Amino acid sequence: MNSRMIFYILGHVLRVEGILMLLPGICGLIYHESEAFIFFLIAVLSILFGYLTTWKIPSNKTIYLKEGCVATGLSWILMSVVGALPFYLTRDIPSYIDALFETISGFTTTGASILTNVEALSHCALFWRSFTHWIGGMGVLVFLLAVLPLTGGSNINLMRAESPGPSVGKLVPKIHTTAMWLYGIYFGLTILEIIILLISRMPVFDTILISFGTAGTGGFGIRNSSCTDYTMAQQWIITVFMILFGVNFNSYYFILLKKAKKAIRIDEIRVYFAIIFISAITITFQILPSVKKLSTALCQAFFQVGSIITTTGFATADFDQWNNLCKTILVTLMFCGACSGSTGGGIKVSRILILFKSVKKELHSYLHPRSIRKINMDGKSLDDDTVRSTNVYFTTFFTLFTISLFLVSIEGKDLITNFTAVAATINNIGPGLNAVGPTQNFASFSTLSKLVLMIDMLAGRLELFPILLLFAPSVWGSILTRKKHV
Amino acid sequence: MFSKPKVPEKEGLHIIIVGCGKVGITLIEQLISEGHDITIIDTNPNKIQEITDIYDVMGIHGSGSSFSIQQEAGIENCDLFIAVTGSDELNLLCCTIASQTSTCSTIARVRTPDYSHEAVYLKEKFGLAMIINPELESADEVTRLLVVPAALEVNSFCRDEAEMIKFKVPEGHHLDGMTIAKLSHTGKFKTLICAVERQGQVFIPNGAFTIQKGDVVSFVAPNKRVKSFMDAIGMKSTKVHRVMIIGGGKVSYYLSERLCAMGMDVKIIESNKDRCEELSLLLPKATIINGDGTDQSLLVEEGIEDTDAFIPLTGIDEENVILTLYAKKVSNAKVITKVNRMNFKDVISELDLGSVIYPRFITAETIVAYVRAKNNSQSSNIETLYHMFDNQAEAIEFNVFKDCSVTGIPFKDLTLKKNLLVAFINRNNKIIIPNGEDCIKSGDSVMIVTTQKGFRNLEDILA
Repeated sequence: MNSRMIFYILGHVLRVEGILMLLPGICGLIYHESEAFIFFLIAVLSILFGYLTTWKIPSNKTIYLKEGCVATGLSWILMSVVGALPFYLTRDIPSYIDALFETISGFTTTGASILTNVEALSHCALFWRSFTHWIGGMGVLVFLLAVLPLTGGSNINLMRAESPGPSVGKLVPKIHTTAMWLYGIYFGLTILEIIILLISRMPVFDTILISFGTAGTGGFGIRNSSCTDYTMAQQWIITVFMILFGVNFNSYYFILLKKAKKAIRIDEIRVYFAIIFISAITITFQILPSVKKLSTALCQAFFQVGSIITTTGFATADFDQWNNLCKTILVTLMFCGACSGSTGGGIKVSRILILFKSVKKELHSYLHPRSIRKINMDGKSLDDDTVRSTNVYFTTFFTLFTISLFLVSIEGKDLITNFTAVAATINNIGPGLNAVGPTQNFASFSTLSKLVLMIDMLAGRLELFPILLLFAPSVWGSILTRKKHV
Repeated sequence: MFSKPKVPEKEGLHIIIVGCGKVGITLIEQLISEGHDITIIDTNPNKIQEITDIYDVMGIHGSGSSFSIQQEAGIENCDLFIAVTGSDELNLLCCTIASQTSTCSTIARVRTPDYSHEAVYLKEKFGLAMIINPELESADEVTRLLVVPAALEVNSFCRDEAEMIKFKVPEGHHLDGMTIAKLSHTGKFKTLICAVERQGQVFIPNGAFTIQKGDVVSFVAPNKRVKSFMDAIGMKSTKVHRVMIIGGGKVSYYLSERLCAMGMDVKIIESNKDRCEELSLLLPKATIINGDGTDQSLLVEEGIEDTDAFIPLTGIDEENVILTLYAKKVSNAKVITKVNRMNFKDVISELDLGSVIYPRFITAETIVAYVRAKNNSQSSNIETLYHMFDNQAEAIEFNVFKDCSVTGIPFKDLTLKKNLLVAFINRNNKIIIPNGEDCIKSGDSVMIVTTQKGFRNLEDILA
């Protein structure tokens, strides 16, 4: 294993994180908060350490899939460990485990919080907390690929390990340009949301933080009531943007190239919008009797559905109080997740599609044992490898889910709480039901449960394997024994 | 951090390559290192997966001759379309379709003798920018080597007016310990030593540089004087008369055609009887032997011990290498080995086989030269380009059309880049080995040798 290169990448990640951490510091200066200096201190130290580790460029720059996965997994852990320090040192979150939970929840765009009173946090801590969503949404390594002259085809392995979705395609021949396009679209959409929210007269601080939360499909609210206080117009704006950030970014690229037809032809996107529409309309009619006004019902239904399916996790209504049909729909949507190639988490619509199609194929082969059928997506036949890896993903996902559920249930909370807590973390959503419902938080869990949920969040964000690989002893063996690379 | 990421200084061309065989991969490797945007099309998804894992290119699975696949690959914005699949017909079809939909230049590989004699006609009628034929070019290179058997490598410039010769200084030779200044004046004419490789490192020497035994020396001379210079420095060699070729593939055919025309006595050993009959019709002057070329007794019977040149051209690299080693052991013949796979180049160069040709490499060089010439300034462009010493140095010939910042100024007043040498100036087909007083004029063609990379026009030589 090319451990030199892994350390080199880790160094760069640290440096970028340091630079990014200057922003909350500046925010703190604006609000005259003393906490700002802690942010600056950690930022400067990170940049310094990052510089030292990236001083010497490794001679062998090739990274294979395993190095890509390990580097990605370690980068995210490093980011979280460093990112949690300001919360702990500013005493905003007194326990380090809690701070780490909050940071991982931020970077993985989960939005599950352990804070009971969000409004008590300093402005710079709040800013950093939401900013982690924005950083984690598109991924730090994709950002590195966009800005660093890390040329070489093997870097696709970094992107593969970090980007959500079963198959990672390039938009343009070069990774560097592809990464720049992705970040360009991401950045552009975020700015657009900020501008539109500002026009709707939301306070500037809220605007920026809510936009970060929507862009990364994170979902840290900055008020105790999440998004309930905002006007209906503002809620609709947030709904639309949540849904937009859950769309495969490739389609935006096609639209920008004026090939909108090609974007519409993507099966996944059509199914995604169909699911949102059907679920939201069903829920609207279910909650209409209790809300009374149709417009409120529509707004609440669409907001909640958009928030859950894109795995954002903002809330404008306490859906824990809704009837069982609605709750079931929402829990199902949790697993469904957003489109591949978006900032959202979950299993991904495209995987669900592939699974359904392979089940259909299997059924067909019972009727006509000798028939030959290929699975189609977007008018092209899928190769068996993609189907196989989807099946493996599915199996691994539920194995991890079950193990986590067992471990969390040790401390004796009720089944719905445990089930939705694991579902909400592994799918990077945030709120679940019952004791972890939209008005509650994760503070009451024991340290063991928190650790399990943290691993779930990371595994969910990085598509399971980069994190699971870190548990393989042979990986550590080959990282630590430095082989001479000639 | 929100500042726009730096755009790479060199704007690359959009290039589509159809077919990822060995030539395709060599091209990808070469062109990617020059910073171009490359999209590949192949019908084998595994091949695409493999290549996109190693190189920074976009892969598209499908047939290169399909219009919709070409569109998916972005044919509208494409600058150059290269078709190098195994089939000549498919290559021509791909290029024809591509040139209908876009304004890109097209390059097709056409290698069957049936078509290659009509290359000029095809090129014109199909509107192709270039037709490449690796087999033909390999045959040309082998032919050049047989004319100067003492050389390891012979490259031609200025439409064969000038040649660059590479030779190895043998042990105990009187060149050992001689300085470049002294060596250049050996013989009747002035010759320029342009590069020396010593233990894997390449030097662009100045006059004080001392040659040692084991060095590989490259020099440039006008075509006609090469032989007299080689004789003068004591690298004498007998004229090749009898040539033995193993394998009757396309390279053998092209090569034998050339050698027979030069009056050499060519013997081809080929194991396939039908192919032997074909060859005997095509090459009436050559002797065609039907038999296994790796059979030692057959080789001895056919006179490997007293042939002047022995050229294994089978499709299998291992066989070629073994045959070369055997020939070196039993005879004094000039041996030229063809190696298809580039992967083990360093191992092969350690074997000391003498002259080795890499057909894939030759083709890739031609295309790289074309691509570089395509996106450069108005005042000069690249005519030919050779990679020397495992890609460590490049020899480039520029055509100068217009006056620019390097023309009209004597060399002693120009500040050139380090490790760079102006090897000759070709003015009206007269080769001038320049000194400090000479200057470049428009209409010349100029050859430089350098260890720096990425030259696109002549002005790049200025520091």
